[in-house]
Amino acid sequence: MDDDVERAARKVRDVEQAVSQHVARSGPITGLASSPDGAVTVVATPGGPPQQIAVSAAALRMGPQGLAAEIMRIAEKAQRNASSRLHQTLERVVDPRELTELGFAREQDEDFGWQR
Amino acid sequence: MAAVNEERMQATEQLQRDLAVTTETIEHPNGLCMVTASAKGEFKALHLHPALLQQGARAVGEVVTETVRLATNAAVQTSFNKMALALGDGMAIDVESIVGDSPFRTTWNPVVPGKSAAPEATPERRPRTPFVDDPDEDAFFENPFGRR
Repeated sequence: MDDDVERAARKVRDVEQAVSQHVARSGPITGLASSPDGAVTVVATPGGPPQQIAVSAAALRMGPQGLAAEIMRIAEKAQRNASSRLHQTLERVVDPRELTELGFAREQDEDFGWQR
Repeated sequence: MAAVNEERMQATEQLQRDLAVTTETIEHPNGLCMVTASAKGEFKALHLHPALLQQGARAVGEVVTETVRLATNAAVQTSFNKMALALGDGMAIDVESIVGDSPFRTTWNPVVPGKSAAPEATPERRPRTPFVDDPDEDAFFENPFGRR
């Protein structure tokens, strides 16, 4: 069992190093999504909580429930975008099927903004 | 041996299913925002108190960002706990050595007091206590900065 763990740890370290070098060249990967009217803007990271949530003054008129629903919708879009960007960045160093299995699927429709 | 392996496989699969649906609900320390999030940082539910909206757009953004971070950390910690229960502490420690420390280990006090969205009020001005000249004071030890 210890050998298995050690082998797994070594493999993770190797992949981590390859990914780190790749990301160091490409810069941090984030996804950006906004409401059409700019009410809510979310910067998301792949596989983590949103990094930044910005709300416009006009968005406060949506009320607590409407604004909460809009934040959730935009955050989900930003995270999908971040995951897709991660997939595209890492598919050269990690098997794309494994990335998809891990939840980092590549989006076909990228009509929303993104940034690295 | 085969039966043990089969049992272990089933336990692992069950654990994967459990971890996939693990969420945690956290209320912000100010009581104005509550978030249910998965260990991957996905929003599952978000409740905003009307009073939070009265604090302005910037405060809303900051409080929601902070609360979803706390909820995600809690969900990750719950996942670690479930894994330790299912596979044993030894395996949980092995996993931590691979994926990094659990939130509980890295942040003993996860609530970081954020900067106030509203500018802080200027402290009230108070008259300085008048300096009473002490004729006995030794000039050698005189410290004008120490006088109050």
